[in-house]
Amino acid sequence: MAEATFLDANELVINMGPQHPATHGVLRVKLKLDGERVLGTECIIGYLHRGVEKIAENRTYAQFTPYVDRMDYCAAVTNGMGYVEAVEKLLGVEIPPRAQYTRMILAELQRIASHLIWLGTHALDIGAMTPVFYTFREREEVLKIFEEYCGARLTTHAFRIGGLQYDLYDGFERDVVKFCDYFLPKIDEYEQLLTKNRIWINRTRNIGVLSGEDAIALGVTGPVLRGSGVKWDIRKAQPYEAYDKVEFDIPIGEHGDTYDRYIVRMAEMRQSVRIIRQCVERLGPGPIFGKVGKVIKPPVGEVYHSIEAPKGELGYYVVSDGTVNPYRVRVRPPSLINLQALDKMAHGHLIADIVAIIGTIDIVLGEVDR
Amino acid sequence: MDWKDFLRRIFLIDLIKGLRLTFSYQRPDATYTEQYPLERPPVAERYRGAPRLNNHPESGETLCIACNLCSIACPENLIVVGWARTEDRKKRLTTFTYDLSRCMFCGLCEDACPVDALELTQDFEIANYSREGMIWDRQALEEGPQPARYTR
Amino acid sequence: MLESTFNFVIANPLLLALIKILIIFAVLSGIVAYLVYMERKVLAFMQARLGPMRVGPWGLLQPVADGLKLLLKEDIIPAGADEWLFLMAPAISIFAAFTVFAAIPFAGNFYVTDINIGLLFILAVSSLGIYGIILGGWSSNSHYPLLGALRSSAQLVSYEVAGGMALVGVLLFSNSLSMVDIVNRQLSMGVWYVFLQPVAFLIYVIAAVAETNRNPFDLPEAESELTAGFHTEYSGFRFALYFMAEYTNMVVVSCIAVTLFLGGWLRPFASYSALDFLKFTPILAFLGAGGFVLWLGLKSSVALERHFFMVLAAGFVALAILVAYPPVLIAIQGIFWFGAKVLAFLYAFIWYRATFPRYRYDQLMNIGWRWMIPLALANVIVTAVGRYLWLSHHAATAVAWLGR
Repeated sequence: MAEATFLDANELVINMGPQHPATHGVLRVKLKLDGERVLGTECIIGYLHRGVEKIAENRTYAQFTPYVDRMDYCAAVTNGMGYVEAVEKLLGVEIPPRAQYTRMILAELQRIASHLIWLGTHALDIGAMTPVFYTFREREEVLKIFEEYCGARLTTHAFRIGGLQYDLYDGFERDVVKFCDYFLPKIDEYEQLLTKNRIWINRTRNIGVLSGEDAIALGVTGPVLRGSGVKWDIRKAQPYEAYDKVEFDIPIGEHGDTYDRYIVRMAEMRQSVRIIRQCVERLGPGPIFGKVGKVIKPPVGEVYHSIEAPKGELGYYVVSDGTVNPYRVRVRPPSLINLQALDKMAHGHLIADIVAIIGTIDIVLGEVDR
Repeated sequence: MDWKDFLRRIFLIDLIKGLRLTFSYQRPDATYTEQYPLERPPVAERYRGAPRLNNHPESGETLCIACNLCSIACPENLIVVGWARTEDRKKRLTTFTYDLSRCMFCGLCEDACPVDALELTQDFEIANYSREGMIWDRQALEEGPQPARYTR
Repeated sequence: MLESTFNFVIANPLLLALIKILIIFAVLSGIVAYLVYMERKVLAFMQARLGPMRVGPWGLLQPVADGLKLLLKEDIIPAGADEWLFLMAPAISIFAAFTVFAAIPFAGNFYVTDINIGLLFILAVSSLGIYGIILGGWSSNSHYPLLGALRSSAQLVSYEVAGGMALVGVLLFSNSLSMVDIVNRQLSMGVWYVFLQPVAFLIYVIAAVAETNRNPFDLPEAESELTAGFHTEYSGFRFALYFMAEYTNMVVVSCIAVTLFLGGWLRPFASYSALDFLKFTPILAFLGAGGFVLWLGLKSSVALERHFFMVLAAGFVALAILVAYPPVLIAIQGIFWFGAKVLAFLYAFIWYRATFPRYRYDQLMNIGWRWMIPLALANVIVTAVGRYLWLSHHAATAVAWLGR
């Protein structure tokens, strides 16, 4: 946007600085206001840029795996899954079914954990200060399972290229099933606090409306796209791992407003529990590593592989030049692409709604800036 | 809106349901806090915490064979393995430097070690007052961190 | 000697009033400080956590630590700020908040004064607190506090109107503005006004929450908004004064609500002597508090905490024994019931904060002007018509006329 057309005499430009309690990280948003109404927004990003993609050029494929966890730090497992699958596609490696189902269980647990963070922080921005404590308590249980499995709670480094490093610990299935039974009533609790609450509905209905056509045109994916009524989920459209072997529904919204995205994410958590239960049943004994050599040297070529991360379509474009280091790793960050919709969604709303809209897009600055 | 919804609206039923939930959370077993210095958290067995160089349980000799695989595997190149050849032309470990300030606890070094000499333990209290204190030499690695224990 | 000082004090009403004022001021400051502590603890328990635990046993010295911290902070006055107004604004807020307590009856015989226009005085003086907000925002010489102050004061003024009109419904029953008379009328009518005027009570509660800038109406002070409200530029003790003024306002609106709707210092079913055994409740309450503190102490793992809690529990039991002495029991009835009701009201304030999201500013003003005020007016009209028909025994003829 050229500076000359951005400013007008009657308009005020306010800066929601990089340090702000509600921008979910170091995001800077310049709001163009007419009185209290927002006419346009401009996001300035890059405050958390760490050069992850450049680092990839100087590490081997296996050495780069821990770095991808740090991009979307709220959902490290799915980041790892996307990268590892992309390299496996490049290598042409088949993963044994036990590894596939384990990966799916961990990815769906991570989806639940990521949506729990979203719910807590979104409710906190809108003023309900209790759900954040309840959701983080549920998250504790998920992170305990991760810690028992791979040794870390947040930056899990759970997967390796070709399969899994660790086999399941004793009691993994029992812990996961116990978590599923424990968690479903908790979603009902959150719904009891928020879903029919008139204040919540007042703050989220018809706020940040994004139509289906606009969403597709902007390249928005994930729950934001599904909230606008478009039934697109990569787990169903381009199945990876063993998602085509389990049954689950794709919740979609009608109006494309904040309330619909809230309903979509709550329903997605329930569907994740359903997927996890099915995967636990199908876990059988077997190897956890495919046929991969000691040194990972994919043939010359390139691959783009995307998965359904909790925030949207997370894609990895890996270019190999035949050496042990990748030539280029480009990450398609769902948060960055979804953030483009902020301008369209924020038009005509009040300043108080901007916070709600940023929260409903569910961005993580680590992913936006990489 | 039918009459039932109307009654629910004027009697604030949705708000009262929320109030009931928060009220019910005041029971003692619902409190999830772990008061840290008094109650230590249970750490998983596979937890990737502070590194340790293991010694042989009986002879006390270090298990490390100075193969340098951990150093090659580390993405941050923060392990420096020093070795020397003994009289019978066997490699023997002399110094082992591990820079904890750059470590991201990914566990690749632990996975790479063929003899389980380098292990990431369950110690998470590795805070230090200086940058130099985070660079552990062989002795610090064999002993492990000695955190101060607080009782109150 | 005690007798003569007692007679001297009684003979000099001004001296008596001064002593009462000192007592009320001291007790109130303590209550406000511990109200902050109570809020943090209750909020924490509702959020599945523990709240302050480290500062004293069970965090009981937290208000002391907070007060000390605020006192020792650097006193910043922004450049270009109107210095005199900047200094006076928090003082105005707190003066208004504390002055109201001169007219509030805490028990049948314990009040500083009983003005015959008591309610009017209370409403007027508590409205003066809004000056503190506006002047604070204006004198900060910064546009964010100014916007916050304007929003805050507009919200307060709107809900004052609604709250005041809700209180008119009560006046139609009590025929008097004097606070003591209102409670005595509830005694003689045998029913608390909350049962006769439920709509007015609801409106008053909502208006009270909005007037004290509490959740769900606290957008002007919310941190996730662009402005942090009128007290952005205040630090140190001035901020402490604003903070105290806000919590004292909470106590004020609770006291007003309790006096007008919940029967003030009356015990439940005060006009039925069959339930006179309820007068033993203070003893039970203190014994219960002692038992609870003992249980808390036994659960603790630190010896010093255990001893402290046992001493505290012993103190409560001693208080219970003291209260069991009949003259003391009679004397303490009023203040005990009043305190219990105000405590319940304050607990409800904290409960709302834990549960509800906050309204956006325009939605807040919408509710105040389009729903609360018309509802309050309708309540006044219906109450007035009903009272007229009831009092003039025209009810029978009116019903007959309607059913013709």
